[in-house]
Amino acid sequence: MADYTKPLPRIDDNTDADSRAFWDAAGEHRLVMQRCTQCGHIRWPIGPVCTQCLTEEFEWQTLSGRGELHSWVNFHQPFHPEWAKEAPYNVALVKLEEGPIFLSNMVECEDSELAVGAAVEVAWEDATEQISIPKFRLLQD
Amino acid sequence: MAKTLKDKVVIAGIGKTPQGAIEGSTALGLGIEAFKNAVADAGINKNEVDGILTHPGTTSPEGATHYLRFAQAVGINPRYSHSLVMGGGSGGALVQSAVMAITHGLADYVACIFGDSARTGGTRFGGAMAGGNELSQGIWGMFGPHANSAMGARRHMALYGTTSEQLGHLAMNIRNNANLNPDAVMYDRKITVQDHQDSRYIVDPLHLLDCCLISDGGVCMILTSADRAKDLKQKPVYLSGIGQAYQAVSFENDEWWYLTHQRTALADAFAMAEATTDDIDVAQLYDNFTISVLFWLEHAGFVGRGEAGPFVGEDRTALGAELPVNTAGGNLSESYMEGWLHIYEGAVQMRGDGGPRQVDGAKLCLTTGRGLNLNTSNAIIMRNDD
Ligand SMILES: [Zn+2]
Repeated sequence: MADYTKPLPRIDDNTDADSRAFWDAAGEHRLVMQRCTQCGHIRWPIGPVCTQCLTEEFEWQTLSGRGELHSWVNFHQPFHPEWAKEAPYNVALVKLEEGPIFLSNMVECEDSELAVGAAVEVAWEDATEQISIPKFRLLQD
Repeated sequence: MAKTLKDKVVIAGIGKTPQGAIEGSTALGLGIEAFKNAVADAGINKNEVDGILTHPGTTSPEGATHYLRFAQAVGINPRYSHSLVMGGGSGGALVQSAVMAITHGLADYVACIFGDSARTGGTRFGGAMAGGNELSQGIWGMFGPHANSAMGARRHMALYGTTSEQLGHLAMNIRNNANLNPDAVMYDRKITVQDHQDSRYIVDPLHLLDCCLISDGGVCMILTSADRAKDLKQKPVYLSGIGQAYQAVSFENDEWWYLTHQRTALADAFAMAEATTDDIDVAQLYDNFTISVLFWLEHAGFVGRGEAGPFVGEDRTALGAELPVNTAGGNLSESYMEGWLHIYEGAVQMRGDGGPRQVDGAKLCLTTGRGLNLNTSNAIIMRNDD
């Protein structure tokens, strides 16, 4: 795991809000988001107030990790030296059951299996000892 | 909808520079050259210009204080001035600022200016997404301007059956227009639908020939009150309707990819102009990627939701067809001036100066702009006196 060379979250660079709790939960393979304690809205990305009612107070809610494939693309053009080594690689958007759309990658599948609307679930990639990155796989039924 | 701005302001002069790879060019120098050409085109003294509105290029070091540097460089102390950074939405938004300022007597001649040496100046459009959080850090390999449009294209294809071949027809027809425009970067390079299909993927489903150019160049429009229209050197081009709208919420918005803010901008422009799509003779639709044109066509109401694929695939946006689109070659094939040349070409068409690419008898032109990860948008309806 020591040889993970793609970009890792720069947790302390987030000037908008504290994202350490998100990545701490990810380390335990839990996908969490901020749930407003006033109106119950779940917001993404991480932000300082509720996007619906502007309340500051929130709790980290563990999500189901399920959703549907909103869209995906395949990067052929090299933009980043480490990612380019895997090109073409997919980048996906997942519409989570709880509402938000989550940027990620589809894993454990061929591109030919991907379809808009397909049921998916979170699949954790343990990048380093500390950092696990949420990815998604097709939900087998 | 307030109609107080309708036809109150005209485009009095237009200027541009050569486009493409211009070795040794600078953003400031290109903007100045375009400004000089627009001043000459308008037939005024540069000291009559009392409004300076600029869109800093990606290679402008001044950022949002660029208007002061530009005004200093051309020796003008403006009454009304600012810069604005909205990517491909900047030109239309600055034109709207100029229209408001002139209508309310804050300035007489307002120059709207853009210059950039993005091609030779080392600009990298491949950075991660904007924003200071996990979405911007490359964790999931999301880089550059293509992917958001590619995501939208994928959904449009999945939901409505739109095909890459249809996008290829659009790319070919826009290129055909550039082949009639000696100033276009791609003037002497023809393409076919097969060339589009054979071009490499950049971000699948978008091929290379779905993507705009990266260019050096400058563009300037000088606007003034319609009260001066009869005294102008050039045939006046009236600004009849303008709207702008923004999309800031994406990840909590299932319709982000469909760019519904564009519908608001277009509706406001059409309402102000008291026009409908039937009145539009020619359109300059912001084409950072081919798929963008489909969204504009649907949001303007030329076709219904999901119907733009067949519309472009049947060549109905070609010169001579029912709605000629991007008659000078657009961002795809003329030059990537972040939408500024779309406004310029709108004025050319309304003056009847398009030469072999002129839409005969055109009276109303729709132009659109959009930028910054698809989030800024605007629409302008311009007309002539014919
Ligand atoms: Zn709330």
